[in-house]
Amino acid sequence: MANNIAKLDIQNLNALFYEKHALKNVNVKIPDKMVTAVIGPSGCGKSTFVRCINRMHELVPGAKVSGKVLLDGVDVYGGMDVMDVRRKIGMVFQKPNPFPNMSVADNVVAGLKLVGTHSKKELAELAEERLKSVGLWDEVKDELKKSGASLSGGQQQRLCIARALAMNPEVILMDEPTSALDPASTAKLEELVKKLKNEISVVIITHNVSQAARISDCTAFFYLGELVEFDETRNIFEHPKNPLTERYITGRFG
Amino acid sequence: MAIISRRGKERLIKYLCFLVTTVAVIPLLWIIGEVVVNGVSAINLEFLTSLPAPFGESGGGIGNAILGTMIINAMACLFGIPVGILTGMHLSEYDLTSRLGAVVRTVVESLSGVPSIIFGIFAYSLIVLTVRHYTAIAAAFALGLMMIPLVAKATEESMRVVSNDIREAATALGIPKWIRTTKIVLSIAKGGVLTGCLLAFARISGETAPLLFTSLFSFFWPTGIDQPMASLQVLIYNYAMSGFENWILKAWGASLLLVIIVVSINVLVRSLTKPKYKGGA
Amino acid sequence: MDMLFMKTKSSRFFNIQDSLFKYVLIGFSILVVLLFVILFYMLIDRSIPSFSANGLNSITGTVWDSEKGLFGALPAIAGTLISALIATLIAIPISLGMAIYFTEYAPQRIRSVLSLFIDMLAAIPSVIYGIWGLWVISPIVKTYIQQPIVGSIGFIPIFAGPAYGLSIFLASMILAIMVVPIISSLSIELLSSTPSSLREGLISLGATKWETVRHVGIPFARLGIFAAIILGLGRALGETMVVTMAIGNSYIWPFQSPSMFAPATTITSKIASELYEATSTLHISSLMELALILLVVTILINSVSRVIINRRSKREYF
Repeated sequence: MANNIAKLDIQNLNALFYEKHALKNVNVKIPDKMVTAVIGPSGCGKSTFVRCINRMHELVPGAKVSGKVLLDGVDVYGGMDVMDVRRKIGMVFQKPNPFPNMSVADNVVAGLKLVGTHSKKELAELAEERLKSVGLWDEVKDELKKSGASLSGGQQQRLCIARALAMNPEVILMDEPTSALDPASTAKLEELVKKLKNEISVVIITHNVSQAARISDCTAFFYLGELVEFDETRNIFEHPKNPLTERYITGRFG
Repeated sequence: MAIISRRGKERLIKYLCFLVTTVAVIPLLWIIGEVVVNGVSAINLEFLTSLPAPFGESGGGIGNAILGTMIINAMACLFGIPVGILTGMHLSEYDLTSRLGAVVRTVVESLSGVPSIIFGIFAYSLIVLTVRHYTAIAAAFALGLMMIPLVAKATEESMRVVSNDIREAATALGIPKWIRTTKIVLSIAKGGVLTGCLLAFARISGETAPLLFTSLFSFFWPTGIDQPMASLQVLIYNYAMSGFENWILKAWGASLLLVIIVVSINVLVRSLTKPKYKGGA
Repeated sequence: MDMLFMKTKSSRFFNIQDSLFKYVLIGFSILVVLLFVILFYMLIDRSIPSFSANGLNSITGTVWDSEKGLFGALPAIAGTLISALIATLIAIPISLGMAIYFTEYAPQRIRSVLSLFIDMLAAIPSVIYGIWGLWVISPIVKTYIQQPIVGSIGFIPIFAGPAYGLSIFLASMILAIMVVPIISSLSIELLSSTPSSLREGLISLGATKWETVRHVGIPFARLGIFAAIILGLGRALGETMVVTMAIGNSYIWPFQSPSMFAPATTITSKIASELYEATSTLHISSLMELALILLVVTILINSVSRVIINRRSKREYF
């Protein structure tokens, strides 16, 4: 891990939600082209943490953020326009949210089609490429015109990943992407995540500790708004340094 | 205790309720029946396409009123629908708790309770008295104003129910807010917005009072939107009050046309809307 | 792949667009508010001549003679209030009965038809209610209702003859029909949304449908139904065409003859029938003053209704 460049350098990150101090002085370096899992009990701040990375947390009324999040050295809070931040750092949510008024193909390229002047051919090619990379192409290639919401849950989630990937982001954030899916779809998605790290960095929140163990290279453990431990996954699970970490992983709480 | 048993009471109430329901429904069927029976005989090609005959003579038609209504309604829509949609969009997407939003919402609600004749007086005072003659534009202004609260409410409510997950997804892709609002949220809500517009249109098609001192009436083809113009509603009013057989017959014919328009739109809207489940047991 | 991003416009461009769009939206919303304010301002402004010339007499006076410059509007105001009140009172039992029938007794097929009928009742243009009232109902009411009553109990002042067809009686009747769909459609929604746990609780104890409605449905919906009634009243107050065509447009009622069968006037019918011919500033101003009164009353009534509905939705219980 020490050999890998840090894609995201998070320094002194503090997040407030009204009076609640949701994140306390988080310092961590997320490595490039690896899967980083974020684990912890409910309410520990993992969702807030991840949303601070692509500046989604500040949209919540009463939210305040301080600190730095450096993407390849540039602070997303001030070094670049917030829309660019979100194009470079994609996000997939817990509940799949394809746009129901658009076809499958249009969903994939929505981030480009709505804001640019691309030709139909370019968009179609991009849609095909991205659907292939998430393993959806064969399943939907005859139904590209159908509404994005007409797919099954697992397919919808992969569609959302394809949609995020179409923006060619450098990091992709995933907020418990499999918690709403059945086991078969979950397995497919985990395979996909492992494949993705060859292209981009993945940060994945999961409440399922064994999932973190299965798919991630590094793991960050949060508790009550603080980053308790961050290390290679192997180390976290085999010999955690913090007793809190050990208790969480062995299921004694959370 | 009670002289009537509980079961008897239940049956009595049931029949009473059924009775009053019938009492309420009878006028509806009666009106539609009268309009159809009296109006059907008036409708023919001449009726639909020609101008009124000289006073006292038989024959003639209401072509100018039909055209006038179309023109005035179209102008009203040009004013009322965009303003209504933009206002509704504002209330739904750009404003959750601000004071401006509360004020706008109160105003929109209040506007929907204002009697239609007041809109007519407003237009009369603002436009007719200023340019010193009756004009169809004033009528369109009054009717457009009436459409605004209906369209705004329909727009706001339809957009509001769009799940916030969708907005999050759009924001996380870096899509600018205005594009998200128009091309995504509004697009999802377009069904509700459309029915709101249709209902607003049906509503103003039937409103007469705002036209009485704005577009007034005319026995000729529309000569310009800055001039008085005939309309179905005012025709019905004038002709019905006149007492002349021929005119009263024409009024029934015009009523039939109006009822067909209004009923068709309502039926259309019902078929477009998912049926709401109603009823207890 | 990067070529694709060259075709995306820059963020700064979008930020400008976003701001522009937001201000356009705010602008139009403010426009709506402005129009409302101008409406009030204009009515007040145009009423001033009348108010300063006549003072309170415009409201309390009983003589309206445009040539003499007398504009006492009390009969018209009374006509508006009484006709609306009677219409609403008649409409209440009918609407509630209909709502109860709909929610408790009607089979599904009848419900869809009934729902259509209620919408139709509300959708029929008022001028058509007017022509129907004028040429169909008026003669019937005159011959079969008014005349017999005058003949039998005409010594009671409110039922005194002569039996004019076009009268405050007729106008109130037709207004009642127009108010019914307002109250009943809202009541149906309210009664349908009674929490099923409460209803089922009572039914499982063996209560009849009526008892359920009486002890659970209506108390739960009580406030909302009241608000609906107020809304219906507001509608009746502001209705123009039906009253203009069915009320007779005369100052005979109530001071020359208090009979229900006498022709009367309302604020709306007065404005509708006179504004076109009014030439003197004072005449127009008097009509404007009436309009202002009507506007204030209807807005107040609708506000009351709205406040009740808002307060109700904040509570879950009775």
